[in-house]
Amino acid sequence: MSVRSEQPVAGPAVPALRTILVAAWAVFVKDLRTELRTRYALNAMVLFAACTAVMVSIGTTFIGLRRSEEALLIQASLLWVALLFAAITGLSRGFVHEEETRTLAALRLAAPPAAVYLGKFLLNLALLAVLGLITSVLFIILVRVQVGSPLAFLLMIAAGSLCLAAATTILAAIIARASFKSALFAVLAFPLLVPPLIIAIQGTAVSLDNAGLDPVRGALQFLVAYSVATFVTSLMLFRFVWEA
Amino acid sequence: MAERLGQIGKLLIGIWIAGIAIAMFLVIPQYEGLGNAGRIVIMHVPTAWVSVLAFAVSAVFSALYLWRGRPVYDHYALAAAESGFLFTALATVTGMIFSQVVWGIYWNWDPRQTSIFVLLLIYAALFALRSAIDQPARRRQLSAVYSLFAFVTVPFLIFVAPRIADSTLHPNCAFIQGSACDGVTLEVGKIGLLGDRKVQLLGLERQGDIITAAVKVSEPGLSSETILRPSYDLAAGDMVARPEFPGLRYQLGLEAVDLTANSALLNIEAPGTGLLENQRTLVTFLAAIIGFTALFVWLLTLRATLLDVQWALAQREGSRL
Repeated sequence: MSVRSEQPVAGPAVPALRTILVAAWAVFVKDLRTELRTRYALNAMVLFAACTAVMVSIGTTFIGLRRSEEALLIQASLLWVALLFAAITGLSRGFVHEEETRTLAALRLAAPPAAVYLGKFLLNLALLAVLGLITSVLFIILVRVQVGSPLAFLLMIAAGSLCLAAATTILAAIIARASFKSALFAVLAFPLLVPPLIIAIQGTAVSLDNAGLDPVRGALQFLVAYSVATFVTSLMLFRFVWEA
Repeated sequence: MAERLGQIGKLLIGIWIAGIAIAMFLVIPQYEGLGNAGRIVIMHVPTAWVSVLAFAVSAVFSALYLWRGRPVYDHYALAAAESGFLFTALATVTGMIFSQVVWGIYWNWDPRQTSIFVLLLIYAALFALRSAIDQPARRRQLSAVYSLFAFVTVPFLIFVAPRIADSTLHPNCAFIQGSACDGVTLEVGKIGLLGDRKVQLLGLERQGDIITAAVKVSEPGLSSETILRPSYDLAAGDMVARPEFPGLRYQLGLEAVDLTANSALLNIEAPGTGLLENQRTLVTFLAAIIGFTALFVWLLTLRATLLDVQWALAQREGSRL
């Protein structure tokens, strides 16, 4: 049984970049609109992050962490634990929702694969921006995280979120076609996220100290490089996920 | 003919591996200070090498599958992942045993442990993904995508390594003398890290040409502290006394002294001779790498053939129904 026919995939050979971008924007706007109507992913993510922040706050404020190098690392780790698990609860929503409502076929007809990927990637990025902002504020208020260099901190959270979105969007598309979706998403995502998370945690810890932008430059470069690599690979591989 | 050759090859691999197992205990001299525990390295390094090789082979066959769409490539990719998982588990376990015997700790998240842990997780994720998709064509395609995608992210661990290298116990620093580990240069009163031990140079004492340093060594977690006194001969330009770290078979060496700056270069040292300087050890080591690679290739073809047969049978059943 030959799985694939020998002829090239039907449709215009390579759609122009402009058409792809326009279609991607349309996919993004459509997803954003459905998300804003139900707020399913956002609610789950933000509530998850809030629960974590409250738990950490209850646990740590009594002992009153002294501001040492270790304390900064602990705070940064806890912040990223909250961000990671909240992200994992929500980021697969884009594709899983399409699968559940059986709208994949329509989407397949309406937009080229690259546009679908880009649209979902943008949606995940938007979700993570909101999540990162809310979680950081919650940690600053509840866990008494003092941000020494706000710009470095902001950049670290942004770059880390970029990594999360770049690495997990294609995984969401993969798990949308499998069973045990949500558990599988975490299982697939975690091993790939170990390197950027280590760097993000260390970089965030440094940014809590008031040393300015210079010490986190290396971490930022790493995170951006990781995002670019996973993003480009996703773009190349997404076609195969979409066909499967 | 090919079948006969395969049979002979299989036998040869068996004999080869058996020979390595014997050589491991009889041919190789005992490493001074490491005792019999050092012999496990002959198993540990080749299995670790094969686990990485298998991961790459799996990714290559995944790419071939996506390109050509022939199930046989997927069978090879899966076979490589399965045997790779086996070798990764072996490398992890042998490493942990060695680590516990020699360094007194099973696991401490040094860069290599982190990367092999990630490798184990990726394999596990790959198997979980495969078991969660029922339709064969889709399963093949999606797992090939995941395998390739994971392959792209793994090299980033190399960049992570230097950032967590403070806690490394692995050979580059301690096994092969005079290699990558630079040690730490401390002024009197300053604190530094060697391996995962905190060291503080308390003072330097001169008696004739011999300089003796008093170094306070703290266990990880500051559970206990001891003062070690390594020494250095200015006239000969060489280390004299090299005390052992408490509970470890590694020694603290005083590699250089700068009396004008009142500072000293301290380093962690493997006891005895360099590991691979010994000819017999080196040969056995290379033989083990060849043997394990051959074993992997054999496992790979065997498992892939088995999957091919299974697939052919399933198709025949399907066409009869």
